[in-house]
Amino acid sequence: MREPEEVVPDSGAVFTFGKTKFAENNPSKFWFKNDIPIYLSCGDEHTAIITGNNKLFMFGSNNWGQLGLGSKSTVNKPTCVKALKLEKMKFAACGRNHTLVSTEGGKVYAAGGNTEGQLGLGDTEERNTFHLISFFTSQHKIKQLSAGSNTSAALTEDGELFMWGDNSEGQIGLQNITSICVPHQVTIGKPISWISCGYYHSAFVTTEGELYTFGEPEYGKLGLPEKLLINHKVPQLVPGIPQKVIQVACGGGHTVALTEKAVYTFGLGQFGQLGLGTFIFETSEPKAVENIKDQKISYVCCGENHTALITDLGLMYTFGDSRHGKLGLGLESFANQFVPTLCSNFLKFIVQLVACGGCHMLVFATPRLDGAEDVELDE
Amino acid sequence: ASEVSEAQTTDSDEIVTPVSQKCPKAGSEKMCIEIISLAFHPEAEVMCDENVKQVYVEYKFYDLPLSETETPVSLRKPRAGEEIHFHFSKVIDLDPVEQKDRRQFLFAMLTGQDPERGHLKFIVVSDPMDEEKKECQEVGYAYLELWQILESGRDIQEQELDIVSPEDQATPIGRLKVSLQAAAALHAIYKEMTEDVFL
Ligand SMILES: [Mg+2]
Ligand SMILES: [Mg+2]
Repeated sequence: MREPEEVVPDSGAVFTFGKTKFAENNPSKFWFKNDIPIYLSCGDEHTAIITGNNKLFMFGSNNWGQLGLGSKSTVNKPTCVKALKLEKMKFAACGRNHTLVSTEGGKVYAAGGNTEGQLGLGDTEERNTFHLISFFTSQHKIKQLSAGSNTSAALTEDGELFMWGDNSEGQIGLQNITSICVPHQVTIGKPISWISCGYYHSAFVTTEGELYTFGEPEYGKLGLPEKLLINHKVPQLVPGIPQKVIQVACGGGHTVALTEKAVYTFGLGQFGQLGLGTFIFETSEPKAVENIKDQKISYVCCGENHTALITDLGLMYTFGDSRHGKLGLGLESFANQFVPTLCSNFLKFIVQLVACGGCHMLVFATPRLDGAEDVELDE
Repeated sequence: ASEVSEAQTTDSDEIVTPVSQKCPKAGSEKMCIEIISLAFHPEAEVMCDENVKQVYVEYKFYDLPLSETETPVSLRKPRAGEEIHFHFSKVIDLDPVEQKDRRQFLFAMLTGQDPERGHLKFIVVSDPMDEEKKECQEVGYAYLELWQILESGRDIQEQELDIVSPEDQATPIGRLKVSLQAAAALHAIYKEMTEDVFL
């Protein structure tokens, strides 16, 4: 039976860009029968989707078993993780080669590469199925998961942050050890409201709106003055952001902070991922991104070398490395974008979710049913 | 869904993929040129030329307007030891019916009967800042020989080409990194054009 062509249902579609492994890496889209995505996460080369029916779907590279499907073969189509079908899945975080997922009841499971203990299972054996991290109990109401290059983090509703895995650069906030294979609490004595693990650095935001960074100190991605870099293995307050920070996203070499009024970026920007124009390819001082045309940004997301922003109107801007079409800006002609660039594909949609990975990006968007054509921007 | 169909549901049944939007063109019917990055040698004159503040790169391809074959942005002149990254890639349609003339042009390049004698010429251009009332100025050339692709049968992957200065084409002043996916198309073009000769 053929599906009607091209028409995205009112409930929306997931759009794929770059090296997703889906549709032979061509820009494509799909949707669920009687279900919608509520959470997306992209790792280096794999993707996780949580749906409204609390199912977990995985696809992409699987060399370390990070899809948790019981094998190590690449999966080129979103595939339901049946082993977790009895659980109500809520969050997912894809790291470079591993995956964390959590349930409504506060259980946390992990699968994939485990060389640094990033699965939190007390050892360094890789797993190609999801295993329960026994540390977490129903007392831990999970609010957010994040995963980096062999690092893992879980944040609770109470503002407690737990991290585990690789600490070679201090990216899970421990002073004197190189890795830890069980969750440990990272605290600065104040409740934490947002966490992001980059490839080799990490950042969190406190409920008071302060931004802290730690991990690999190079290229300004911690946003700290030179004299503070000696202490890069412990979370340090990033100065120089004049408003309350709401969210933070860490990429491979860059960091993006969303405040109540603006988007600040720092770190490496050689491909444009800072969105600071064609003259700034690196900065350790947080700088406000211009060119967003007074849009209010509601969500920020970083891939290894690219950045996506969603506005409160559901428009999306991308910038940074354009390779493989991962910025979602064209089919046959790409170039790095050094300022936020509106994805015109989505002018007639409301972008609900975005996730950026190593060389790919996924977007969940619903058709704009109310006078779609009116949402043009004044140039 | 009923209990029965639920039991029979396979993973892929839960996902709807619209019928393929667009059939990707065969490799023999297109080519892709990517201008990846550039660096200048630290001792090159252009490095200390204060008139050169930002640069872009362009090439010419038969009927394509320059606006489609120049990097869409100019980037700050690289510092010593620094590379600047354009990642500007463009697919050129070489449809055997609609783009006959482009195929003829590429055949001429393969046989060295074009002005650049079989080379795709990349031009590094100094782009004056908006407030300066100056002209763009060519600061370097890099050449890629198309024949080598036909001969080897392999696409060019991230090849570094010497950039030479317009005044002194013997002395390299930097490196331009490019990719060219054209092996399948060039092979097809060469075959069809040389067969024509004997018809
Ligand atoms: Mg121009
Ligand atoms: Mg200009």
